[in-house]
Amino acid sequence: MNTALTREELEQILDQALQDVTERTAGVRLRQGDHPPGEDLCTVHITFDRGFSTSLTLCADTSLLLRMARNSFHEDAVTPEDLEEFSKEYLNVLCGKVTGAMFRATQIPARFGQPRFYRGRYEPEEQEVQFILTYSDGHSEGAQLIHHVPCSHGDEAEPNEA
Amino acid sequence: MSRRIMVVDDSRLVRVQLEDVLKGTDYEIAAYCRSGEDAIEQYAAVQPDLVTMDIIMQGMDGLDAAEAILRSNPDARIVMVSSLAYDDTFERAKAIGAKGFVDKPFHREQLLKVFEEALS
Repeated sequence: MNTALTREELEQILDQALQDVTERTAGVRLRQGDHPPGEDLCTVHITFDRGFSTSLTLCADTSLLLRMARNSFHEDAVTPEDLEEFSKEYLNVLCGKVTGAMFRATQIPARFGQPRFYRGRYEPEEQEVQFILTYSDGHSEGAQLIHHVPCSHGDEAEPNEA
Repeated sequence: MSRRIMVVDDSRLVRVQLEDVLKGTDYEIAAYCRSGEDAIEQYAAVQPDLVTMDIIMQGMDGLDAAEAILRSNPDARIVMVSSLAYDDTFERAKAIGAKGFVDKPFHREQLLKVFEEALS
């Protein structure tokens, strides 16, 4: 996200924030693993618009997001609108945690825009994947948190800096 | 007598979470606004004891909405409830007269403590 943090430090911040927010908002424990989401998935995307020019994308099995939404709303039946609302608020809170941790580490204040929700996979334009964190809940459901950076267009890359 | 809260947040999830946290307390949600503009419009009619205000919302952000409410209602008690709990948002919230700041996702005890302080 910025040159003041290494990629490993950023991965650690994202991982800690995701696990904490997921457990506290939805009562689900996600752990890093190698089980990516399947075909039926949803994507939530958020762009950092001050301090950074990167974005975060969460792709998750629809069934996992539905379970998290049901837990959060305390309702057995959630509508598609509820699913979208939950997913956006979840990423919103996650990004708040991330930018807070980033600020404590770098003193650089970041801001982010409104999250956008998509059925299926969404890949932001003019950005490329820097790294992907893959999660599983232990019930064959998976999620990926993807950190995108602006396309380098062949410019010199800094593979070890986030 | 219960204390009436106006919740300003564009997420219905936050309303559900607040209702859950406030069960069994003497707080009740008197109004729910999904935007800063809506909150400014409804404040005078609702006359809540306390307002919880999100920051990042569609349209006017929560800090601008809080400032507008406090300009017309200097006695309004507003607590910011946001995931953006750091750096200059704290300072700006304080500067405009917000009575407290609660970090999302919130804990029941933390939330009630800030509410009590805001109303004291």
